[in-house]
Amino acid sequence: MLDPTIRWKDRPDLSLLNTEHPRVDAADKVTGRARFSHDMRLPGMVYARLVMIPASRATIEKLDLSQALATPGVVLAEPAEEDKTEVRYLGDDAVVAIICGVSPEAAQDGVRAVQIEWTPADNMLISEEQISEADAPKINRRGNLRESGEKGDVDDTNKALAAADVRVSATYSVPVQHHLCLETHGCVVDYNGGDEATVYASTQAVSGNPGSFARHLGLKSSQVRVVCQNMGGGFGAKFGIGLEGALACRAARQLERPVHLMLDRKAEFLMSGNRSGSRQAMSAGANKDGRIVALDVEAHKFGGTSGGALPTPPYMYLVEEAHAKIFTVHQALDGNRAMRAPGHPQASFAMESMVDELAYGIGMDPLEFRIKNLSDATHHRQLRRAAKEIGWDLHPNRTQPGNKPLQSNQRPEGSPAAPPGDHWREGIGFGVAHWGGGGHGGAKCEVRIDPDGSVTSSCAVQDLGTGSRTYVGTIVAEELGLGLNAVKARIGDSALPPGVASGGSVTTGSVAPAVQHAALLAREALEKVLEPVLGAMPGDYTFAAGRVFVTDAPAKSLSWQEACALLGRDPLVVLGDRKGELSEGGAHGSQAVRVAVNTRTGQIKVLDMVGIQSQGLVLNRLAVKSQINGGMVGALSYALFEQRVIDADFGNSLTANMEDYKIAGTKDIPRMRPLIDDEDKRPTVSGMAECTGVPGAGAIANAVFNACGARVRHLPLTPDRVLEALKDS
Amino acid sequence: MDKFKQPLVPNPSGESSGHSRRTFLGGTSAAVAGSTLANSAVANTLGAGKTRPEDGPRLTGLSKLTLTVNGTKQSVEVEPRTTLLSLLRHRMDPPLTGAKEVCDRGNCGACSVLIDDQPAYSCMTLAVDLAGRSVRTVEGLGTPDDLHPVQAAFCKHDASMCGFCTPGFVVSTVACLEQEPDADSARIRDRLSGNLCRCGTYPHVFAAAEGAQQVMNAGGLDSAGDQGGKR
Repeated sequence: MLDPTIRWKDRPDLSLLNTEHPRVDAADKVTGRARFSHDMRLPGMVYARLVMIPASRATIEKLDLSQALATPGVVLAEPAEEDKTEVRYLGDDAVVAIICGVSPEAAQDGVRAVQIEWTPADNMLISEEQISEADAPKINRRGNLRESGEKGDVDDTNKALAAADVRVSATYSVPVQHHLCLETHGCVVDYNGGDEATVYASTQAVSGNPGSFARHLGLKSSQVRVVCQNMGGGFGAKFGIGLEGALACRAARQLERPVHLMLDRKAEFLMSGNRSGSRQAMSAGANKDGRIVALDVEAHKFGGTSGGALPTPPYMYLVEEAHAKIFTVHQALDGNRAMRAPGHPQASFAMESMVDELAYGIGMDPLEFRIKNLSDATHHRQLRRAAKEIGWDLHPNRTQPGNKPLQSNQRPEGSPAAPPGDHWREGIGFGVAHWGGGGHGGAKCEVRIDPDGSVTSSCAVQDLGTGSRTYVGTIVAEELGLGLNAVKARIGDSALPPGVASGGSVTTGSVAPAVQHAALLAREALEKVLEPVLGAMPGDYTFAAGRVFVTDAPAKSLSWQEACALLGRDPLVVLGDRKGELSEGGAHGSQAVRVAVNTRTGQIKVLDMVGIQSQGLVLNRLAVKSQINGGMVGALSYALFEQRVIDADFGNSLTANMEDYKIAGTKDIPRMRPLIDDEDKRPTVSGMAECTGVPGAGAIANAVFNACGARVRHLPLTPDRVLEALKDS
Repeated sequence: MDKFKQPLVPNPSGESSGHSRRTFLGGTSAAVAGSTLANSAVANTLGAGKTRPEDGPRLTGLSKLTLTVNGTKQSVEVEPRTTLLSLLRHRMDPPLTGAKEVCDRGNCGACSVLIDDQPAYSCMTLAVDLAGRSVRTVEGLGTPDDLHPVQAAFCKHDASMCGFCTPGFVVSTVACLEQEPDADSARIRDRLSGNLCRCGTYPHVFAAAEGAQQVMNAGGLDSAGDQGGKR
């Protein structure tokens, strides 16, 4: 019975893990060889397009697909749903037909030839006025506006508020944000009739998807293989197969040929989920000693047909008496889906802003105020480090907003400065986050050592761009003393031992322990093979630099190839389980931001972002830095640019393309310093990515206030809002 | 709004009822689309690249043309509407899927290629305009075993996460460094500002561009990675 000690190597003993190394699939990605679902080309494959009615609510009088079907190159033109007479929301319910053509252009020709007669509804059920009209149809059977949670005692909170030294009442809001995965949702269903199918899906849940595809193909789960070797972003929106997956299966089943159905960009904006919006009306009180004594919140979540996401306040900070009431607002719009820390960036923006307002309200340094109201010593330590990096100690305006440009000695050496001119002000803001990320059971990993010395590590897990493919290989290489690319990682295939769905930053905490367990099992099994040759008991060997040594007698050694040759003809194969003692949740992050604000134009320029992040043992320091950067860039984009805009009269989106839906680009990126918190010395791994995207928007808004006194309480922080807020300051 | 992309457009007659409800019909758009359709439908009978007298100088049907793709001359037949992106991704054998279709309207740069060494959005370029011209795609810049210095630097600096924008960024970076070898970091950001990334890889892309710049300026076209380069 194999029974290795379940542990990670001590940090000083690591030669691959906890170092900076490139990801193993980088060369494929930079040369265009990496194949995504979009890129699949199969014999006989047809391309599908969906036809959507551009309104949130409508009556369908006629759908005539005969001309579409007669279009050259079109092989299938079908209603999405038989006898559909109504569009109930702008999302997958607005899809009325699917057209398949032998080329994308042929399919598009077919779409143009579709004849529809439809009448828009009088009430598009978009605005809060519309959904609240007396005769407004119900989007959700429980009502269009409903209370969805309450916590705390309102009377105690009001008493505490009344007794507070300083009170602030303010309403904060955030718009709906799109995931905007660069690879749209969809799949390529390789089915030619018969009892087997392979689906190339852009998915965050390879192991979880065969059953869904099988249902729509009329097959059993065991007859469907789901493959996702690369995917162009998910961010929480790509767990299920969606209507697009179901329709692709249906078309493939009818045609008995492969169907390529990747949403076009407009459909992607309209029906692939989003981060819900929110409006949070807060009243809070603090005492002059720096304690937050009361917080009352009335929050509204805007999640379309879904419920919206928002952790119940108070978020992150200690509050002595708190009361929160949360309402869900249903609109006839695409439902929200998980998006990189669902609900947390919304909660963080409002709470970090309010915390800041209270700090300035009592005249206390907002950094010290935060530390006083955060319970976790890790945050205290991280905030002080982030403050030092960003130059808080040199900053002249720590308890009130600035009113003149900074001198060069008022920021650290090397710090980016505001553009020259009298109208630029510089400010600094802070924010914190915390995340679980410990993972859960279910993942398995197979390690196979062949007699010729080649090693394979296999797990069905997908790589969203986080680097999971790399650690499925490097964890094994580390334990066997091999090099970066010595272990072939096989992932993204449901035929392999199961992975987990990549959501909630659980992938690393779930999969890496299974890989490590498999590596330990493989190592011990090989040591048993070595015992008759080298004489030492299993456990008494050292694997390093492509050799195996007897630990106490290093002269006794074999090269990796010689050791593997002892296996004879058959490979050594082990299956590792996820061992909980190898992972632990509890990632902490703290961020500091320096911005410049032009008080004449309202323009905000983010100059410098520092993010310090803890996650226990780091598997790849370079990939973790990429994740920290990614979280901060996402937050910057959320803070300054992004918002979905819907025309309530026409029930249609005005931002369903990448021209009108703006995201951060190269010239918006400040100096960025992703710092790994090495003072977290836990011998466990943890997911961390979601933690990094939470605090940035609040930190930027706070930095804007610190710069010039403009308290902007609504995202995005557009120039007009800055100028409006300056008038009030 | 582009009516050719919109299957459903208002029918003015619906307004005459006097009701506040608006009636929309798809018939008009089908008629408009009809002319486009006719082009592809009659393509085979009309033959290559002919124009019909009633169309004036308009190009219809299939056009034959020869262009160079990654150093190899290729003869292709394309419709007037075929974009270079579609030509590369759907009509080459084997398909060149490195350039990605993301926004399909010149917003994001994921489809970037080099046309006669100039960077271009292939989704905004009609294939018929490329007769006699030379196209380089990300596949033509280097292979995993023989990376272009820009590609090697992208690997070294982890300048890709999901990787979907990466081919476009690699192409734009190559164009920048070939044309402006001494571009400073602000200029590099200018030159890459036509490309968008959603994972937030930008800082590592900048590091890769500057790393590659050192290697290329040291004449190290044959060296992988950007170590040891001197300006």
